[in-house]
Amino acid sequence: MSNLSSFDPQLWVQKYADVLYVYTVARVTDTGVAEDIVQDTFLSAWKNRESYKGEASEKNWLFSICKNKIIDYYRKNARSVVRTAKEDIPENDFNEAEHWTKEAGPKEWNVDYTGTIETKEFYSVLQSCKNKLQKMQQAVFSMKYLDNLETEEICKVLNITPSNYWVLIHRAKLQLRGCLEKNWINI
Amino acid sequence: MISCKQATQLICKKEENRLSFIEKVKLRIHLSVCRFCCLFESQTNFIEKNACHLQEHLGHLCLSDSCKEKIISKLKGAE
Repeated sequence: MSNLSSFDPQLWVQKYADVLYVYTVARVTDTGVAEDIVQDTFLSAWKNRESYKGEASEKNWLFSICKNKIIDYYRKNARSVVRTAKEDIPENDFNEAEHWTKEAGPKEWNVDYTGTIETKEFYSVLQSCKNKLQKMQQAVFSMKYLDNLETEEICKVLNITPSNYWVLIHRAKLQLRGCLEKNWINI
Repeated sequence: MISCKQATQLICKKEENRLSFIEKVKLRIHLSVCRFCCLFESQTNFIEKNACHLQEHLGHLCLSDSCKEKIISKLKGAE
């Protein structure tokens, strides 16, 4: 049993609120939702503090609670996914023959596509573009590219079919790429 | 020949090695003549590769003080 004196609300929030918040906001994007998730994380941890055995570090314990809260949030959004995935919303990217329109067709970016990018600007545009995605697209994108989960795992967690997954990831990529091109490259 | 919409779908699956032999051939033929889809492939690969660094680049963000105060008072209230 861990020393209960370490369960000091003030100390907890001071030590962990910001790191939990950054972790969460990278995954759910919406800052208001992220704030709620961080608050819920602390509240559940507090309620269950007696069951904390000190096997994991306090930080890892809080993170595991936070991860579950994020998944709960994704799942709540997943309930509507089957309907939206089937609708196959028409896009402006492609013409009637399903080829790129001249306006929407990808333009050359002035970057090394095989390299990595370190500029803060790229990531702030990426974050704001991610925020424009449908919530389920954000969820699959985050699980895939931030958490490196396998497709099967993502489908299982969100209770969606592989074909739902492919529709979501395809749309997410089309939209993110277009949004980045508009807001980052051409500035 | 497959459309650009289909080609971009296949590009998403290719990244995870989910293409059948026929799909690979269809995509290769399309990419050999479509500059747009070639760019789409390079650019989405670029986004994916860099997306994993998103969190570290958001490290400057903080939870607002008012929100922290609210949490602390809720925790104390739950005691």
